[in-house]
Amino acid sequence: MVENKIPTSYNEALKILATGSYQVLNGGTDLMVRYRGWSETRVKFKKNMLHIHNLDELNYITSKDEYIHIGATTTHETILHHPLIPEIMKKCLRVFASPAIRNMGTLVGNIGNASPAGDAVLIAYLLEARLVVESLRHQREVPIEDFIKGPGSIALAPDEIIKEIYFKKLNFNATYFTKVGGRQSDAISKVMFAAGYRLDADKIVDIRIAIGAVSPTIIKDKTIEKSIKGYTLKNLSNQKSMILSQYAAHINPIDDQRSNKHYRKKVALNLLEAFLNDIITRS
Amino acid sequence: MKEKQNISVGIDNVEAADKIAGLAKYTSDIVIEGMLYAKTVRSTIPRGTIREIKIPTLPKGYYTVDATDIPGDNIVGMLRDDWPVFAAHHVNHIGEPIMLIVREDKAIITEIVNKITITYDEAEPTFDFTDSCEQLSFQKGNTKKAFKEAKKIIDYTYETGYQEQTYIEPQGFIGYPENDGVTLIGSIQCPYYVKHAVMQTLGASEDLVRVIQATVGGAFGGKEEFPSLMACQLAVAIHKIARPIKMIYEREEDMEVTTKRHPAKITMSAAIDADNRVMAIKSHVGLDGGAYIGLSKVVLSRGMLASTNAYTIENVTARGDVYRTNTVPNGAFRGFGAPQMIFAIEMFMHHIAKDLNIDPLTFRKAHMVKQGDLTATSGVFRDPVIMNSMLEEVLKQSNYIEKVKQYQHPESNKGIGMSWFLHGFGFTGSGEKDKIKARVRLKKDEQDNVHILIAAVDMGQGPKTTMRKLVANLLDYPIEKVIFNNPDTRYVPDSGPTVASRTMMIVGGLLARATKKLQDQWVAHQEVVTEESYEQPSYVQWDNEAMHGDAYPAYSWGINVCEVEVDRQTYEVRVRNMWNIYDVGKAIDERIVLGQADGGQAQGIGYGYLEVMNHREGKIMQKNMTDYIIPTAADTPPMENTLMDNPYPLGPYGAKGVGELTLVGGAPAVALAIEQAIGKKVHTIPVTPERIMELIDNE
Amino acid sequence: MSEKISFELNGQSITITLSPDHRFLDVLRKHLNIVGPKEGCGEGECGACSVLMDGYIVQSCILPLGSVHGKKIMTIEGYRETKRFKALQDAFLTEGASQCGICTPGMIMATEYLLSHNPHPTDEEIRHGLAGNLCRCTGYNMIIKAIKRAAKEGEGLW
Ligand SMILES: Cc1cc2nc3c(=O)[nH]c(=O)nc-3n(C[C@H](O)[C@H](O)[C@H](O)COP(=O)(O)OP(=O)(O)OC[C@H]3O[C@@H](n4cnc5c(N)ncnc54)[C@H](O)[C@@H]3O)c2cc1C
Ligand code: FES
Ligand code: FES
Repeated sequence: MVENKIPTSYNEALKILATGSYQVLNGGTDLMVRYRGWSETRVKFKKNMLHIHNLDELNYITSKDEYIHIGATTTHETILHHPLIPEIMKKCLRVFASPAIRNMGTLVGNIGNASPAGDAVLIAYLLEARLVVESLRHQREVPIEDFIKGPGSIALAPDEIIKEIYFKKLNFNATYFTKVGGRQSDAISKVMFAAGYRLDADKIVDIRIAIGAVSPTIIKDKTIEKSIKGYTLKNLSNQKSMILSQYAAHINPIDDQRSNKHYRKKVALNLLEAFLNDIITRS
Repeated sequence: MKEKQNISVGIDNVEAADKIAGLAKYTSDIVIEGMLYAKTVRSTIPRGTIREIKIPTLPKGYYTVDATDIPGDNIVGMLRDDWPVFAAHHVNHIGEPIMLIVREDKAIITEIVNKITITYDEAEPTFDFTDSCEQLSFQKGNTKKAFKEAKKIIDYTYETGYQEQTYIEPQGFIGYPENDGVTLIGSIQCPYYVKHAVMQTLGASEDLVRVIQATVGGAFGGKEEFPSLMACQLAVAIHKIARPIKMIYEREEDMEVTTKRHPAKITMSAAIDADNRVMAIKSHVGLDGGAYIGLSKVVLSRGMLASTNAYTIENVTARGDVYRTNTVPNGAFRGFGAPQMIFAIEMFMHHIAKDLNIDPLTFRKAHMVKQGDLTATSGVFRDPVIMNSMLEEVLKQSNYIEKVKQYQHPESNKGIGMSWFLHGFGFTGSGEKDKIKARVRLKKDEQDNVHILIAAVDMGQGPKTTMRKLVANLLDYPIEKVIFNNPDTRYVPDSGPTVASRTMMIVGGLLARATKKLQDQWVAHQEVVTEESYEQPSYVQWDNEAMHGDAYPAYSWGINVCEVEVDRQTYEVRVRNMWNIYDVGKAIDERIVLGQADGGQAQGIGYGYLEVMNHREGKIMQKNMTDYIIPTAADTPPMENTLMDNPYPLGPYGAKGVGELTLVGGAPAVALAIEQAIGKKVHTIPVTPERIMELIDNE
Repeated sequence: MSEKISFELNGQSITITLSPDHRFLDVLRKHLNIVGPKEGCGEGECGACSVLMDGYIVQSCILPLGSVHGKKIMTIEGYRETKRFKALQDAFLTEGASQCGICTPGMIMATEYLLSHNPHPTDEEIRHGLAGNLCRCTGYNMIIKAIKRAAKEGEGLW
């Protein structure tokens, strides 16, 4: 039989995790759905569960120097309404699930779930976020793209917990977020796109592009981004189709009950193109 | 005498206060001391013969219930009796029930269900439209001649997908043994359908089966025939185990195994004369019946009867088939065949006009039904048809003509669409007289409370309110003194199923007559009982074999106008506005009719552009509410609804049918709007973003 | 395996000894006989089971009992005793916002959450505020009208 523990402190949580046989249960909005059974029966968890959702020690949003830190149990709704949070994250969270799910689910849980269709995961990539992972043995920091290895697969040892996520404040002229779901709200993404850029006169000094739900992990290619940096708007216009084809090479979506791969690919590229056009015509 | 309240003025729904406060009792809220739970073991293959069922040794007190336990017929009594209560030897679709596991501990039941292994000899399943098992056809005028003389012939094929009722309350029953018989309380539309089906399965007499309606959390046709299947199974279990048992479906189970709207393929062919008029229409409707036919033939007939919709066409040939496939059986859903056909004919009329290079609105107007015209089956539209004034009104409200021009510009990404439609109510032809034979009863008790005794179910559409209002108004009596409890077959006569938008018009009509009688026989402080039974209006002539004559005594009418915007990058559709106008004779309660309008349209447009369900090798792919997308508050547009007053002389206060009418025009209205926005002809619903992309790309 | 879980339910303290991996909806319905919250989907999608936890709307069907420890829960059973509820009930009745009613208790709790954070919401804000509460009967427009009516007639309550 599966064991359940509700730690009263973060330290206690780490101790329980050190036994190596517990999985973290945070808001539960992924896990409770995945393992639900017949009503009135216990949820069919496969592992022992550590209920951390009420650990207030991990419920925080703070800012230090250029960085914003978000604790593991902080819910989407708290993040959405917090003054420190960059607009791009808010754009995403406003259309994330529904108010009830936002009150339960957490940003760290969205990352722990490692779905290629995780909306806030996309933004974490865009923000080039890093995770603070801890166990009684050590504390380490991992960039998001190294942490998420594939759909549902993360670089986390059995005794480890994600303590927080943090990222640098952005300084962009404009940010973009589009979620394409089956309906206007309360939907799982079929495709999603986020981007931002900064111009100095007509020169692109910074640009970031993230595309989700079209490959096993979020697409964010620093090499392409680096190649765009330094372009004038004219260069960008000339290189547009090249950039599109570079991204097209990464886009490798699937057919499922929600959409099909042709649509996903086409829409992802449409959104990317619209973004590039927007920069070009902005001048 | 004090002036009587206008019957149409809305009053508070009599059940709503309790529902809002969370006090209403739905089936799953009911608990009976010592009750057990039942879970269904189902087939995992689309077609085959059961070779062996391995059941683990059952803990003490745990039961299996299967075909061998059935004392009567292993058949769910429906229109066509081909649906087994439990699969005994063969299975014909994934999810087909084979047995129940029953006891009180759900965790152990689940374990047992998971341990049961069934081996099959698999057979080749059919998923295409080849195995026709019901055929219908009718003929008006001389289609052959018209096609011979035609200046031009235009053909199109239209396709529609599944639609899931997606009532928010899943299917469920609780039942218990009572006086050597069984009593079943459930989420149902048709207490007597359930009762008769259970009697047949148990081989039991009338007095041994009692069916009671609990508060119903939405139905939309989905609780018309399907509950009979569950009830029969549960009745067999109660008969065997002699304990109270509860069976509530989980959402996924409900979505995977309960009946849905039939996917359809409709081909239409029109003969056009030199004046650009449609001389004749030939149509063929193919319906995917699923593994068992049940009431699919009636759905087919309903669809075919709508084949010329609100247009008068001199020559008509309509044919149709129900095909058997190895998929979950399809069944009743608000509109009953009409939504498929009305989608097809509305698109078709539009597409013909386009191909002829005439303004679609002018073209449609030239064919609009007038009073006295013949219906598709050569019956007569006897009552005043006010479509013209409805059209004028809705054109004005929506600014349709101006918008059509504006949105012609391809860059606008906007479109506006309009659908016309009619819906006949009650059972088709002489069905009310021959099959249903409705009876209603009114009882005034010694305290002078008047009890409405009918089998009509309030599943949110409001008869609890409207029927009481009707009787109270006719008696000029306080509504609080008119009582209408949930039907219990022990006390109420069979006034027929709560389907086909028949409740107000037919059952209400009978109640109105029973009320008159009661008034005549009224003696204070004494019990007085009056009854009425259905009599067909003498003018209704219907030949069921030839499908010729008056399919319905009268029709309700409507127009929907829908405005959309399509995103050029994501192909997503936003429905911006809707204007809708209806002739339902007389609204017995405006608030309730408007509520039906809003809800029906939301389902209708959902069917048109949002709600995708399909199967892969017989397995339903969208099996939960995350994947089967119904509109949220953010998807539904603001709606302007107008009700016209056009009392029908034989309806109570002039009322006609409402419930289905408000759904049937939604899909073509939204599809035509999308068609304009993208500048491509639409032939298939739902018009999803994926489909829009294809349409735009396939230049 | 079982743990002592304490929380406040509609103003009353409750302690229950049960494994924390129960769905809170089942704890309410089966163990505490609180059947106002309904089960429509069991996967967080429909909102029929919505309740307030420390004033925040949550879907109790996917809320682990373990998360409720130390919290204040309000269901329709508690809420219906309030003045705010009365204002909502009147408005829902007047506008015809409840048909089959299975979604309504959840809808009322979602409305409370919405109005308590935004006493004068726009149509658009209401539509997105109700995003997690599906209704198949009404097409939502009457619910939206009811919420606006309650906001107006219940001025000062929120
Ligand atoms: C109705 C509904 C709608 C939804 N809509 C969306 C949507 O629009 N967009 C979207 O992206 N998602 C959506 N989701 C999915 C889900 O809500 C999100 O992924 C949410 O952010 C998960 O957070 P949680 O805290 O509930 O995760 P949990 O279910 O508690 O955990 C998820 C995973 O993360 C791990 N985990 C959580 N916290 C930690 C930690 N501190 N350390 C280590 N591992 C951890 C868990 O072990 C588990 O593997 C929806 C879910 C539902 C039920
Ligand atoms: S039952 Fe909880 S959200 Fe549907
Ligand atoms: S009133 Fe029936 S689901 Fe909302």
